[in-house]
Amino acid sequence: MLRFDSVYKRFPDGTEAIRNISLHVPKGQFCVVLGPSGAGKSTLLRMLNGLSQPTEGSVHLAGEQITERSVQRLRKRVATVHQQFNLTPRMSVALNVLSGALPQVAHWRAAIGLFPPELRQKACRLLDEVGLTPEHVNRRVSELSGGQQQRVGIARAFMMDPAVLLADEPVASLDPRISRGILELLHRQSRNHDTTVLCSLHQPELAREFGDRIIAVNQGRLVFDGTPEQLTDQVCEDLYHGALAHKHDVPEVDEAECEPELELAAA
Amino acid sequence: MKPSANPNWNWLRPEKNMMKNLSVNRDAKWHLNQPYNARHLMFAIVALLILAVTGSRMEVPRMVQETAQGVGYVVGLNEESSVATGVMRIAESIWPLRISEEIEVSRIENFDRNDLPWLSHVEVIESRTPHLNTETLQLEETVESKEVLVKPIGYLSHVLLKMLETLEMALWGTILAVALSIPLACFAAANYAPNRFIYNLARSTISLFRAIPELVSALFLVLAFGFGPIAGFLALGIHSAGFLGKFYAEDIENADRGPQEALQSIGAGQIKTLWYGVLPQVLPQYIAYTLYILDRNIRMATVIGIVGAGGIGLELKGRFDMFNFDHVGTILVIIFLTVIILDQFSARLRSRLM
Ligand SMILES: Nc1ncnc2c1ncn2[C@@H]1O[C@H](COP(=O)(O)OP(=O)(O)OP(=O)(O)O)[C@@H](O)[C@H]1O
Ligand SMILES: [Mg+2]
Repeated sequence: MLRFDSVYKRFPDGTEAIRNISLHVPKGQFCVVLGPSGAGKSTLLRMLNGLSQPTEGSVHLAGEQITERSVQRLRKRVATVHQQFNLTPRMSVALNVLSGALPQVAHWRAAIGLFPPELRQKACRLLDEVGLTPEHVNRRVSELSGGQQQRVGIARAFMMDPAVLLADEPVASLDPRISRGILELLHRQSRNHDTTVLCSLHQPELAREFGDRIIAVNQGRLVFDGTPEQLTDQVCEDLYHGALAHKHDVPEVDEAECEPELELAAA
Repeated sequence: MKPSANPNWNWLRPEKNMMKNLSVNRDAKWHLNQPYNARHLMFAIVALLILAVTGSRMEVPRMVQETAQGVGYVVGLNEESSVATGVMRIAESIWPLRISEEIEVSRIENFDRNDLPWLSHVEVIESRTPHLNTETLQLEETVESKEVLVKPIGYLSHVLLKMLETLEMALWGTILAVALSIPLACFAAANYAPNRFIYNLARSTISLFRAIPELVSALFLVLAFGFGPIAGFLALGIHSAGFLGKFYAEDIENADRGPQEALQSIGAGQIKTLWYGVLPQVLPQYIAYTLYILDRNIRMATVIGIVGAGGIGLELKGRFDMFNFDHVGTILVIIFLTVIILDQFSARLRSRLM
């Protein structure tokens, strides 16, 4: 479903955010992306919804390369939970959630904010599912707490029926209980609707619990790719502490652990 | 400090190391530049020359002299001052303000005594003209009596109506400006322009609109549309569209990218992205700009009539040219009061919205 072919991403200031990543995520898989802060997780996800373009290599969605021409069509089935939430601050919670369905709504309806009843019901159901209450619906998002805003962003992503769901640290601002609830929601989506989920996380334990597959990036390189069982404490230690102490050392695991990807890809 | 595998975080603690070795090079010769140099002197000389030349062309010395005389006259130092007498003459003829309107009955066609206009009455006024009786060589007075229709607030209501027309002109000028500038602004915002050519076209249209003063475009629009408010509000609308377009476009460009990216990333399209990702962010600013432009248009609409483009300006100019300073006084007071009241109103509205 998702495929990266030797992708490099260099920012204009010279930062190499992604270095030679090749990756295939099959349809319906819940794939968790781990990696220390600044590793390139967000950059990796943003190349799938066209907010960022690879400097080298190619990114494919459902067998089609994402190019300037195809991106408008392809991104209509790609939902994103943004790391910075990216909600419209002075707009109500309801309209923010509904705006997730904008591509399917007629222009005149969008212009006067008159969304079809089934979308309104869906918005209410989703807000309920992420644990917000009816009293929040008509507030401006700028008046919500950080965690509540994050959940509004998650509800918005579910407003379309995504074939691919990109979740960039969707539980970063949430307490442990709600975090699990949200990850369960993402997991259910991938189970029941065959949605391919790519979700970056900072909690290896959650990754192990919910992921079908775990990959790790560090310094823009893919340094681990395996099943939850293969993500041992030692790997995590290497990923976070090892990376901190020796900046230019890639943990050894990557060569050994890269094979399961092939199996999964074949599966 | 050498890089080490085991980073030493001590340098983060200010009290220990802060004052040590701050000086990089103790032998360096310090040299502070003089604050002024020859270029500054040249600049000052040129500036003074320009002031001297333009000042004499503007008759600044005469202005100073006559103002001083006027002030001296008021204080009681001088016996005469042309400025003071001029001002006094106008001030005397302005007061009392003209409120009523009197029309000679004989001049009104189909005058019906039983059906007078609202609030008006018929009065007989006697005018006395002194003249010399050639036989007795005495000064005599002949008394002539005329019937006049007196409307006690006739002129005031006329001015108020004209003021209302002025306000309507300002309102429609602003509506036109908003309608013109919203599409212009979308094309003139670098991140929403469909291509470079349209971007430049929109930018230069906005600049052009801003560069045409209302009074100049009104002159031509009066030729095209005739005397009246159409020319007035078109002129106002075009000029202020130049301002609003620039402000709106800048706001669109500076709006937070996050919400826009969110909508872009699902392929919502430019119009919906503008509507849901940008407009809610910039709306309070837009309303503030628009109110400011309305405010400005009201002030501008009062004078634009001078070239015949409707509103109170035409009445003002006519009365001024006929030396009817009491009428002029009424007009000025009404303009003044309207502007003050609307200023208060829009200030309050703005603080509500922010
Ligand atoms: N627009 C940009 N211009 C230049 N450098 C950038 C830009 N965006 C990201 N980077 C750099 O690219 C690298 C990867 O950034 P990225 O946001 O992908 O990290 P991340 O893994 O998502 O980190 P975090 O966990 O903190 O969100 C970082 O070094 C960052 O400084
Ligand atoms: Mg990130």
